[in-house]
Parts: sequence; C-alpha cells; structure tokens
Amino acid sequence: MTATATRPPDAAPPATGGKRAPKRERQGAAWVFLSPWVLGAAVLTLLPMAVSLYLSFTDYDMFDAPRWIGFRNYTQMFTEDPRYWRSVITTLTYVVIAVPLQLLLALAVAIALKSVKRGKGFYRSAFYAPSLLGASMSIALVWRAIFNDGGSVDNLLSGMGIDIGGWINKPGWAILSVALLTIWQFGAPMVIFLAGLQQIPAELYEAAAVDGASWWRQFRSITIPMLSPVLFFNLVLQMIQAFQVFTPAFAVSAGKGGPADSTLVYTLYLYDRGFTASHMGYASAMAWALLLAIGVVTAVLFRTSRAWVFYANDNNEGAR
Amino acid sequence: MRGNGTRTSLALALVLTLGGTLTGCGGDGGGGSGGKVSLRFTWWGNPDRAARTEEAVKLFEQRHPDIDIATSFAGFDTYKAKLATQAAGGDAPDVMQLDYRQINQYATSGILLNLGEHPELRTSEIDKGLLATGVVDGKQYALPVARGTETVAYDAALWRKAGVPEPTLTWTWDDWADAMRKLSAAKATQGRVGSTDPGQSEDVFEIWLRGRGKSLYTKDEKLGFTADDLTRYWEWCTKLREEGAVVPAEQTTQMDGTVENTPLGRLKSVSDFNWDAPTSGYAPIVGEGLKLAPLPVGEDGTPGQYFKPSMFFGASAKTAHPKQAAQFIDFLLNDKKAGAILGATRGIPANDAIRQDVLPKLEGFDQVVSTYQKQFEGKFEDPPPAPPKGDASLQTTFSRDYDQVSYERMSPREAAENYITEAKAELRQ
Repeated sequence: MTATATRPPDAAPPATGGKRAPKRERQGAAWVFLSPWVLGAAVLTLLPMAVSLYLSFTDYDMFDAPRWIGFRNYTQMFTEDPRYWRSVITTLTYVVIAVPLQLLLALAVAIALKSVKRGKGFYRSAFYAPSLLGASMSIALVWRAIFNDGGSVDNLLSGMGIDIGGWINKPGWAILSVALLTIWQFGAPMVIFLAGLQQIPAELYEAAAVDGASWWRQFRSITIPMLSPVLFFNLVLQMIQAFQVFTPAFAVSAGKGGPADSTLVYTLYLYDRGFTASHMGYASAMAWALLLAIGVVTAVLFRTSRAWVFYANDNNEGAR
Repeated sequence: MRGNGTRTSLALALVLTLGGTLTGCGGDGGGGSGGKVSLRFTWWGNPDRAARTEEAVKLFEQRHPDIDIATSFAGFDTYKAKLATQAAGGDAPDVMQLDYRQINQYATSGILLNLGEHPELRTSEIDKGLLATGVVDGKQYALPVARGTETVAYDAALWRKAGVPEPTLTWTWDDWADAMRKLSAAKATQGRVGSTDPGQSEDVFEIWLRGRGKSLYTKDEKLGFTADDLTRYWEWCTKLREEGAVVPAEQTTQMDGTVENTPLGRLKSVSDFNWDAPTSGYAPIVGEGLKLAPLPVGEDGTPGQYFKPSMFFGASAKTAHPKQAAQFIDFLLNDKKAGAILGATRGIPANDAIRQDVLPKLEGFDQVVSTYQKQFEGKFEDPPPAPPKGDASLQTTFSRDYDQVSYERMSPREAAENYITEAKAELRQ
C-alpha cells in the first residue's frame, strides 16, 4: 500500500497530477473495469471472426477437420451457385422496399408526434413498442399466422373484395409480408427523428412563416436539410440491419425460404448452407462476402452524403 | 517502486476476474457430485414425450443411485443444429437420440461409440432388419428405438360418399391416381381435392422408386436413380396437379412438418401421405372417418414400402462413462417397466417383447397405427442402410426444387437435373 500512502490524505485521484504513477493507476483501473468488455470482444467477437475468415478458405463439414481449398468457396459462390444469386436478389429487393418505406413512415410519424401536446409519452411508447417486440420469433410467427390464407389480414382483405388467398404462399407477396414486418418496426428510427426535429431552432420556422413560406416549403427548405445528418444516420443504420434480415424470413417460410425461394434472403441461405447442409466453410465465405458488401454500400452512402448531408457548422453549405 | 502495490493488486483483480469468467464457462466437467456418475441425455420431441422420458429416467436413477442423468430436449430442427455444433466442438452428450440420416455421418466421423463392444447392452430382442440400420462399417454405432412406415391417411367417410372404391393392400400408383381424380371430381368432397401433392416429398418418391426396383442410394453409397427417373416422377405429379387431382402449389408450400399444416389437416384434401406415427394428429381434425391405407405398389406389384427405424439411441465416443451409457440405453430399449412408461411415444417399439407388451395397452388412434403396422409384419423387405454422409440437406433440396416446378418456374426436367447436380456435389461424387 505504499502508493496510496504517497497520495494526498483525501485520496481523490489527482486530476492534474501529471506524475506517471497515478496516471498508470488510472489506466490500470480502466482496464479492470473494461476487462469484461475486452474479454467479451476478444473471445466472443474477434476470435470467432478470425476463425470464420480461416474457415471461409476451407471445406469444413463440422465433423472432419477443415480442409484448405483456397478461394474455391468464393469462386463456387459467384460462378456456380444460382441459388446464391437468387438470395442476393431477394435481399436487395427486400432492402429496396423495406428501408425507404420504413424511414418515410418513421419520419411522418415523428413529424406528427412533434406537434402532439397531450399524451406524448403514450404515443411515443405505443409507436416504439413494435421495435422492441418485432425482432422476436414470436411476433414473426404471429405474422405468419395473420398473413396466411384464412388469417386475419387475408380475411379482412377478402372481406373488402381483395382476394389474395394468403400472402405467405404466393412468391411475390411473401417477401412483401416480410418487408411489412420490418416497416412496422419504425419506432427506433422514429425516436431518433424526433430527437433531431427538436434540435431544429424554432426561429427558422418563425422567420419562414413571417416570409409566408408554405408548410411544404418549410419542410423542404428547413426540416429536410436540418434533419439530414439524422436522416443519414438512420439510413445507414437501417440499411445495415436490413442486409442482415433473418428472423422474419425464417419464420414466415418455416425456415425454408419458400415459396419457390422467394423469401430466401441472404442470411437464411447462409444458415441453410451452414447448419442444414453442414458446409461451414461455404457459409463463412458467404458471411465475409456480406460483410464486404455492407462495407461497400456504407462507403458509397458516405460518399454521396457529402452532396446532401448538411451539418450545422458547415456555414457555407447550411440550410438554404 | 511507487505504485507497485496497487499495480499488483489491480493485476490480481484482473486475474481473478479472468479466472472467474473462465471457470464460470467450464462448469460441469462430467464428474458430478458426491462420487456420482453423471450422464447427459438429449433428444428431440414434444412435451408428452418429455414427460414420459423423465418418468423413465427417474426409474433408472432409482435403480442406479450412483448414476445421475441430466436430460434436455428440443424441437427436431433446433436439436439437429445444436447436436451438430456440440459434436463439432467435441462435446456431444453422453447419450443422444439420433435420426437415420445422422448415423453414417456421426459414425464415420468418430463421434459415436461402438455399442457392439458393450455386453451391458442387449440386442437379442430387437428386430434384426432394423438393428442392421444402425450398423456402419460392420460396427453397431446406434440402436433403433422404434419403427415407422409411411401411410396414406384418408377420410374414409368422404371417400365412401364419393363412391370411390376404398384402397386395398395391393393398389398400384395408377389405381391411386384414378382414385384421386375421382375424389376431386366428386360432389361429395365439397371442393376438396384428392390428395397432398406427392411431388414435394422425397419420402414418397423413395417408395415410388422402390416400387420400380430402384432406390435412393445404392449399396456403395451412390445415387440409386437418374435424372430421368426423377423427371418422370415430377412430370407425373405435375400432370395430376394440373388436372386438379392433387393440391396446388399454394397448399404444398405451407407444409412445415406439422399435421395441422398439411392439406388434409387444413381440410383442403381428402388424403395425405405421412409417416404413421404422427397420423394420430389428424384424428381431432378429420374425425371418425380417419383411416390408414398402405402406399400403392409398383405397377408389377413390387411393394416399395418398408419399416424404417423412426429414431436411434447412440452414445458419444468421448463419454467418460461408456459402461453406464450402455446400461442406460439398455434400460430404455429392453426394460419392461421402461417400455410400459414410454409406450409408443417414440413410435411402435423396435424391441419385439416390449412391442407385444405395449401394443394391447395403446389408446385411441395409436391402436389404429399399431394394427396398421401389424398387417405388414413379415411382408416388407429390409429397410435400406442408413443414407450416406452428405445427404443431410437433400430432403430440403428435393422439396425446394419441386417448389420451382409447382410454381412453374422450372420444368420437371430442369428441376430434376438441378437436384441430381446438387445431390452429386453433396455426396462428393
């Protein structure tokens, strides 16, 4: 305990001590407190990632030792596996439908809620709840039940004269029901939009109103530019999530990606290769291809963001 | 030397945290407490099977106070994935329930214990043909628990009302197709079609194939049929579907392994192909008229149907207590009391003596299933050996490829060739 004895009697860590020992002490303490996280990251994230990268260059059926085959998995994936490309197209279709609609809905509801005076808390929780529930298997199963033929949505629609005969058994409609499940979980981006909306200075709107700008004009020239960083954030986040969609597709198709592979999204096919067909090497290669693809899409988004995202401190390019 | 003490204590704390985390992970090394031998036993199934299994396990523990059995179960798909992961990590449970399609893979990968070397485990009362299905490379790696066979479950009341002759023991596939056409056309069936589309089922295809003297796999583990065979089968199914004798694609795609989501279970058809064990599930839906018919025979009278082991028990090659594991499996398969507790929850028992005991006590539709099986006693050929390694995903591939046919995205020929290509890749041929 020699170290503590040299400290001032009040034992508070010297804030501006500048001496080496206390600094190291603080670092040490930091590492102790960080250790659960560091350990978790190393053992549960970095190590499995390294193993998966290694496996992606092997033929591994989970029983016999992995056999090194170089880029064979990757070439097979890109050149010999039509089902792989079908899963890519299915996923892209899903992303293109689900993400914009989800963000639009989130933004619309956030704008509506911004001006609500009474029961704010209630509405916010009500709209946010699906985001908490939606990722679960049980909700996905409920989804399957209500969109099945004879399910409540189907009955309601046929009552209105729109006879689809079930969504989950029609190749074109099944992926739509999966996308709807995602769109319905607009609560998380909505809350972020709300926070963003409240950051916009009221003076801007007051000034615009004085100038006689219409609601639409205010929306286009104030709300959207001022909100663009938040919009960008939500877009990137939801896009990354959408590329990895799994649970709803799995549940709606009973794990098969049907009908006729129409809900065979990327991760579902990855799961199928890995756990049903025992091709862990191939599944790992698919995972890395997905990681790269998401990386590229995100990078492209960041590139384009220069043209349309305005930050408050960019004086010259600010809201106009 | 300043700060050393603190640093040491911090390092110590870190080590302790680490140590705590690590020991927290590797809890039960298999030793168990108080000198007891502890075995892990896992299976797939439903709550009813779980309750009966627990009861049997308790009885075993009473008789062997030195052995402690830890059990766990899950649904089939979950179980399969979990067991594969455990086995890959060298952590397979001591005793496990296995599927026909897992035997070869697990045995050749050194995951299963050679049970033939354990005299504690008696096999004398188990049907010889069934017993052979657990043999790989001459070694008894797994023991069949029960047997099942396929069936055509049908609503006999509607069938009679429609004026269609009821199935016989020797009806052919042509007879079957004729009956389906007539059933679909009859007014009495109220818009329900004759049958589930057999095109999606690899199991039905196998029986059809055997009726033509072929098989899914040859003895040397190669594919036992060609793209031509599969094309013929799928073209035949497609014709029946287009004629409206079997259900359309929208019904087929909703099948998920449960009785409730089959066309017959949804009251969209008059009959369904299924394994006999789950057919009791139709009873509350279809009602009094529910009956079981054998699958049609080949046009020259060759029967394709066989008794298949519905599931197996095996032990881990790495178990620390092979003797106790063998004792436990022996108890589950051969003990009369255990047999009485377990009943037909895993199918009609493969043990001849237990089967004689259990059969008269079966209740409800289980009784119908056992009578159904009885009429084939001694008439079927032996079941084929366990499917080769690599076939695990082909069942899914089969129904997926047929999906492409029934949704008219591919011709039967294209889909069949797709399947053959994939099957050969999986089997590494």
